[in-house]
Amino acid sequence: MKRKILAALLASTMVLSLVGCGGGSAETPAAPAADSGAAEEAPAAEEAPAADAETPAAAGGDETLTVWCWDPAFNMNAMYEAEKVYQKDHPNFKLNVVETPWDDIQTKVTTAATSGDLSTLPDIFLMQDNAFQKNVLAFPDVCMDLTNSGVDFSQFAAGKTAYSVIDGKNYGVPFDNGAVVACYRTDLLEQAGLTIDDFTDITFDQYLENGKKVLEATGKPLISMQAGECDLIMMMLQSAGASLFNEDGTANIVGNDTLKTVMETYKSLKDAGVLTEVNSWDEYVGDFVSGNVAGTINGCWIMASIQTAEDQSGNWAITNMPSLVGASGATNYSNNGGSSWAVTTNCANPDLACDFLASTFAGSNELYDNILPSGALATWAPAGDSSAYGEPNEFFGGDAVSAKIVDFATKVPTNITGAYYYEARNAVATAITNYINGSDLETELQTAEQTINFNMQ
Amino acid sequence: MYLFLCIVSFISVFPLYWMVSAATNKSADVISGRLIPGGYFMENLNNLLAAQNIGRAFGNSFKYAAILTIVSLLVSSLAGYGFEIFHDKAKDTLMSIILLAMMVPFVATMIPLFQMFSKAGWLNTTIGFILPTISTPFLIMMFRQSARSFPHDIMEAARIDGLSEIRIFFQMFIPTMRSTYAAAMTITFMNAWNSYLWPKVIMTDANSQTMPMVVANLTEGYVTDYGMLMLAVLICTLPTAVVFFCLQNAFAEGITGAVK
Repeated sequence: MKRKILAALLASTMVLSLVGCGGGSAETPAAPAADSGAAEEAPAAEEAPAADAETPAAAGGDETLTVWCWDPAFNMNAMYEAEKVYQKDHPNFKLNVVETPWDDIQTKVTTAATSGDLSTLPDIFLMQDNAFQKNVLAFPDVCMDLTNSGVDFSQFAAGKTAYSVIDGKNYGVPFDNGAVVACYRTDLLEQAGLTIDDFTDITFDQYLENGKKVLEATGKPLISMQAGECDLIMMMLQSAGASLFNEDGTANIVGNDTLKTVMETYKSLKDAGVLTEVNSWDEYVGDFVSGNVAGTINGCWIMASIQTAEDQSGNWAITNMPSLVGASGATNYSNNGGSSWAVTTNCANPDLACDFLASTFAGSNELYDNILPSGALATWAPAGDSSAYGEPNEFFGGDAVSAKIVDFATKVPTNITGAYYYEARNAVATAITNYINGSDLETELQTAEQTINFNMQ
Repeated sequence: MYLFLCIVSFISVFPLYWMVSAATNKSADVISGRLIPGGYFMENLNNLLAAQNIGRAFGNSFKYAAILTIVSLLVSSLAGYGFEIFHDKAKDTLMSIILLAMMVPFVATMIPLFQMFSKAGWLNTTIGFILPTISTPFLIMMFRQSARSFPHDIMEAARIDGLSEIRIFFQMFIPTMRSTYAAAMTITFMNAWNSYLWPKVIMTDANSQTMPMVVANLTEGYVTDYGMLMLAVLICTLPTAVVFFCLQNAFAEGITGAVK
């Protein structure tokens, strides 16, 4: 009996593998080197008909769009809500949302672009703002120019659209807000005799002084940050309108006085014990969730993590971040994170995709009201005027946090990211780590600039 | 001595324990480092089922891994058997070339492979998943080594009795080499189950996502539910653990190359 089963299994696999081999030998010659070279030159035009047959997204002339994004509770939910809004005027419209983590989207876009076969790409995908310029510059065939697509970009915060503008052309429709908020535990501040007002519109000097008081009274630092990352450094830098790159794309590290001030400020916070460094993101979140620190400064999306500590409801408050001292153009506003929608050149119905984005993410108060409960805050200025944004949030002491953040977002200075933003961030992160450990600042900045220039060669 | 062993085994078992206990806690507790099992297992399970199509991903993974295991065992063992039993100079050279192929990292061949598979229309298909790893140099080598210990006298006797070569392979070699097959099966199944990069490149459709891809989905986003994530990891680990436990005796024998 056993033998019979085995025989049957083996026989069936033989057949299967033969089919596999047969298929393989018949198909592989279809892609010789010369052929693929030709495909690379004109990928969009030649591959489009093939895409119709293969991907369900582009099947037929129906009004279906395929979208890649990654968070069911957040940006996927936003797309489903946008679908509902758009369906009111376009009953045949349908979205096929495929959950794809950002790292996977990056891998898939890279694979598709380098192989010259864009037919596997969706119609619309969500892109991290920090990676936008890099992808458009490295793979110019992938994203569609949306400048004249009917989307009114002037209604978005300028600091936000700048992430997806390359050579004066708009390639992305801004989605979520990354405006920086400073969050504090008001009950801990109280123990030091301080209130949230003592942290509003302040400078980093005042922040340091306040931090020392809190440390003395409660034994807790004001903020923790992940060691080896430079999120706070970048937020501080952008708050003063400075960047790691010049307009022409060259590195702006050595001789960047604002960056120097930022590094010195960061070190003074660390030396005073007001800022403590932890080893991982999980520890960072754990610190404020379990009350080891009295607050944090980050993109407003961090509030979702803060609110998982349900027992601390009412003990939190948000305000703007401290401003740099001694930097020209210093403000109390910055940005960290966020993402924008890109339309691919593989889109079979670009007019539909553009109209969809223009009438939802760039034109519907209803959409932004509907997705507000999920924590998705608009960078589309008109959304901030709606009544839903003015509603108080009990977790944050009854403050109308949403309207506040949309207001912050409009005041954020722009940041030049360029194609090598991630590489530059890594180099600066190394520099700050060494500087904190006692190395010379000028030397570290020079090393960082050399590293970036080496990467750019 | 025993103290040392105890410490080492504690270190190796602890992550497993932590995975199981975290799967029963809520996210905030996991972050704050709670180690005792909690009562949130059902809630995590419900959240997980609501957030992801676990059943479909599990089924997909199982289907791909099972088919790949069966087919690749057959192909690789035939190849290994052939290389050893019928070896001559040319075949030995060919074997060295195959072994050289082990040195080429997968990422180097990924883009050409993707191009070929996309043209052939194999994206989002089982065949697309299994074909690149249907025969691996490692498995061929493993079967070649174990075929070396296959007694030639029996084969001669079988030939004299009129058994055809293909029947010698199926009726004599496979039953004798059970333990090697078990070891190879464990390795192939685990690799197939855990493979991530290739499926992530070719599976663009939500309907063909595999378990590791679903687990990766859970870590994205601004808030990660660690309890739910750990539960998904636990579910993802179970099949490989089951396969390994069932075959562990044979696995150890197969690795050391014993013939029964």
